[in-house]
Amino acid sequence: MTIRCEQIDDLLLEGDPFSMAEAVKHAESCPTCHETLAAWNDIAATARTMTAEWQSDMLLPRVQHLLREKTSHAQRSRLWQIAAAIILTISIAATSWYAVRLGSHDARFDEDILRVAVLDEVEQAEKSHVEAIERLERIAAPTLEHSDAALMVSYKEKLLLLDDAIAECEAGIAQNRQNAFLRKQLLAMYSEKQDTLRQIVREGRDATRR
Amino acid sequence: MRREDIAVPDDDHRLAAGCAAGDPLVFEDIYRRFGGRLKSIAFNHLGNPSDAEDAVQETLLKAHRSASSYSGASSFSTWLHRILINTCYDLMRKRKRRPEESPIDDAPAAIGRTAVAVDETKRIALRRLIDRLPEQRRTVFTLFEIEGLSHSEIGEILNITEGNSKWILFATKKDLQKQWKASL
Repeated sequence: MTIRCEQIDDLLLEGDPFSMAEAVKHAESCPTCHETLAAWNDIAATARTMTAEWQSDMLLPRVQHLLREKTSHAQRSRLWQIAAAIILTISIAATSWYAVRLGSHDARFDEDILRVAVLDEVEQAEKSHVEAIERLERIAAPTLEHSDAALMVSYKEKLLLLDDAIAECEAGIAQNRQNAFLRKQLLAMYSEKQDTLRQIVREGRDATRR
Repeated sequence: MRREDIAVPDDDHRLAAGCAAGDPLVFEDIYRRFGGRLKSIAFNHLGNPSDAEDAVQETLLKAHRSASSYSGASSFSTWLHRILINTCYDLMRKRKRRPEESPIDDAPAAIGRTAVAVDETKRIALRRLIDRLPEQRRTVFTLFEIEGLSHSEIGEILNITEGNSKWILFATKKDLQKQWKASL
């Protein structure tokens, strides 16, 4: 095969042993291509001697030390992440608990306000009731004072008993305003006192007629 | 072709797994098998042993960080070389931004050469010419002519075709050849 100068680049591009042998064959009879090929081979030959080798005793220990550091750092940061997650969970739980507690506190506060309002209403009704009974007592008082009849004496004793019981009940209520049982008992006693006074007034009126 | 280039896939996965776990024995194995060539490639890109060692150290640490994503699509050796080349590029770019750092050593005293028959002047001249080459050309020339890798291996490392690697080498040598006589 005859190679022309224009074809030498194709052979150098291929670079395989056969192409290079063809290039050498052509260069033997062509001074320009001979020079080109000589430089080409010189570069390749020089490059082949440029593999660098040197002792670096500290490189591997340094890498292994850095790896150990990285591994322990990763473990430490994993521990920190776990700790941070626990702290975050506790914070969220505490905040939620506080929010719920605050909410229930508000609800209880509202409930208390309502309860106080109802109590005020009950006490107001009781006060009116007591005033009405006192008015009735004033009407019944002359009949009780001026009569020695056995019935009136028994009414007086009943009223004294009722007043003692009422006083005791009121003392209990003063300690616990919300005690509904005592309040019901008090109401029952007032009603009893009211009925007794009404009977006294009726007895007095009947006695006058007689 | 050196012994490390014939790694079997199972071995590659063992190396990758040990690398991901940071196993010191696996790193010792990797260093024993690939360290020499990695240092040489880094030296021929960066021009001095200190930077070359930094590049190899960084490469091994990067390999540790990303070994869990090693798929086995290319050999462990190719994968490691790819990391090294990218690390060298990063250092070269950094150096370009700060040119006062890490000068190129013309003839580092401690560096041994595989053959001493070639004139040291030629080596210095070729080093200077290589240092002026663009990144990719420098890599293809280094890997093929200095380290003796095949075009198919270079193609895998640089993610280019074998034909492209061949063409880049030819164009690079053509340029070097034009400057060769004048540089001596």
